[in-house]
Amino acid sequence: MSDSRQQHVIRISGLTKTYPGSSHPALDHLNLEVARGLIFGLLGPNGAGKTTTISIICTLLRPDSGRVEVLEQQMPTAAAAIRHAIGLVPQDIALYPSLTIKENLSYFAHVLDVEKGRRAERIVACLDMVGLAEVAGRRIDCCSGGMKRRANLAVGILHEPQILLLDEPTVGIDAQSRHLILEQLRQLNRQGMTLLYTTHYMREAEEICDEIAIIDTGRVIAQGTPKQLIAGNPACESLEDLFLALTGKALRE
Amino acid sequence: MHLLSHIAKELLLLSRDRAGLLVLFVMPVLLVLVLTLVQDNVFRATGETTTRALFVNLDAGELGVDLASGLSATGMLELVEAFAGEKIDLARARQAVFRGNYQFAIVVPADFSVVIAAAAESAARATLRGDSVEIKPAELQIFFDPAVRGVYRTAVSSSVQRGVISVAMANRSTALMRLLSTDLQQQLDEQLQPYGASGLVNIELPEFADNWLEQPLIELQEESAAPEKFPIMPTSVQQNVPAWTLFGMFFIVIPLAGTMIRERQDSTLTRLLTMPVSIAGLLGGKVFAYLFICLLQLVLMLLVGRYLMPLLGTPQFDMGTSPRALALVAVSSALAACGFGMLVGVVARSFDQAAIFGSVSVVIAAALGGVMVPVYMMPQVMQAISVVSPLGWGLEAFLDIFVRGGDLSSVLPQVLTLNGFFLLCMVVAALVFRRWRQGA
Repeated sequence: MSDSRQQHVIRISGLTKTYPGSSHPALDHLNLEVARGLIFGLLGPNGAGKTTTISIICTLLRPDSGRVEVLEQQMPTAAAAIRHAIGLVPQDIALYPSLTIKENLSYFAHVLDVEKGRRAERIVACLDMVGLAEVAGRRIDCCSGGMKRRANLAVGILHEPQILLLDEPTVGIDAQSRHLILEQLRQLNRQGMTLLYTTHYMREAEEICDEIAIIDTGRVIAQGTPKQLIAGNPACESLEDLFLALTGKALRE
Repeated sequence: MHLLSHIAKELLLLSRDRAGLLVLFVMPVLLVLVLTLVQDNVFRATGETTTRALFVNLDAGELGVDLASGLSATGMLELVEAFAGEKIDLARARQAVFRGNYQFAIVVPADFSVVIAAAAESAARATLRGDSVEIKPAELQIFFDPAVRGVYRTAVSSSVQRGVISVAMANRSTALMRLLSTDLQQQLDEQLQPYGASGLVNIELPEFADNWLEQPLIELQEESAAPEKFPIMPTSVQQNVPAWTLFGMFFIVIPLAGTMIRERQDSTLTRLLTMPVSIAGLLGGKVFAYLFICLLQLVLMLLVGRYLMPLLGTPQFDMGTSPRALALVAVSSALAACGFGMLVGVVARSFDQAAIFGSVSVVIAAALGGVMVPVYMMPQVMQAISVVSPLGWGLEAFLDIFVRGGDLSSVLPQVLTLNGFFLLCMVVAALVFRRWRQGA
């Protein structure tokens, strides 16, 4: 196996997916490689194929064709092993509203096969990391939007996954909570975790991502570091300018 | 499989769902209490025990009083002849019944004794002469509350009829015996006159005992067809407690399907499906948690029947003679209820859909299964359709145990059907979960 192959934790080639009843493919021969240890931003307008890509990587969706390898294991045959190695922070608050933050974490720690001896320690560590240790006994439906987002993140990292998939993890929260979440993501990345991250906030992506892929109509239309991408388009001063230049200003559904 | 974690989570979620718990535990208790008591009263009204009735005796003679005794002696009527010590007149009785304070009043007319005595005398004379009997009968009036149902009216009428027959027969026989003695003596005197000198005229005629008509020639005995070794009488409690308990158990559909839909709506299911969990574990966790709840419901209902119902005046609920059969039917019925809940949970698209479809389908299945009206009382078409109701299978098995003295072998067909239904529902649920995970 070559070194370059080992460096990529996600390798996607020729991926296609068309949803039943849709005339347009959500993914149209998408190719993507994510190197180990990066914070990788996946940007695109609504309907570009970001969530479909993440759903396929996290074994939730089966593609029509194409090849997906996660940590050198091929999908869908190695789906069970891949589920152990990845963590997902979905766009929705995927927690039980009537359970407390700690009860949610405890349940998901069991489900994620966190070792019995380390379970309590991991729950405390994750709560500390997202700043929820003092309100761990509060029910989710009694938490603020920012607290729910942080709890949502905490569940995704309970089992210390090698790859963390984040689907718009900072949507709808205040600046303080967003700052804290981004700070924690950097910290997780420093600890060696690879992050695949989707967002509509271009400044946030520019600030946090090591590498970015912009996708539209199911294909990658640009990929590189934020600086490289902006530098490659002299008319653009920011990532947002570049994004609009590449994907157009027409409204998407 | 993380089964215990899933079970613990489901129970924790349920414990936080107060409305769900209310549906699961308080509703079946109320159903069992209210409906058993209501139906118990219907049984009473149709002749099982005493019914209160106004009795207006305008008769100047003794037969009105005799009739009152006769009606009371049937054991089905408790006559009320006075309000606060004051004898009831016709107008007050009629008003009380019309207002619905009493369901009926029996009015004995003023000439009751005279008319009956005359009628009995005429009938006896005509009988002895061999003539056809034509008499003017006494008229006894019964006023009914217009709201009283036909079955109730028929039951009361037949009770009054029984009392009236005994009075009428007593009078007919008295008149007949009296005339027979006189007539016989007269004819003997005429026939034996020539031998009067030899002393044959002093023949002692046989005397009839006063109560010879009171001794019944035919006695009706009501007996259960259950085996002799089975001592339980089929009361309304024995029949209603299992019926409404099953009804309550199947209402597990609403919280169970609701939990599943909420998991889909708030994306916790999506998250779970990306984790190293098996679909069998996810479904198993729900089934075991709700199975436990169903069995708790059952135990609670049986205890209500056994210890609470008698305090409200009903017979005590008897658990039958086969605990093993009871356990098997209980688990099978609970599994069928859980399976149905899972099916609704994967098919319904929203909580409202699940709540409406779940509750309506349970009510329909209960009606078809004989929970509300026994299957044998339904029209033929409905009887044929009723075989598809899981509540009907469960109820049949419970009644086998509670009123027919059934054991393991007798409930086996229903147990197999209930478990087959559960497995079918689980297979469908598992296939749908698999489709969700693979995004087909």
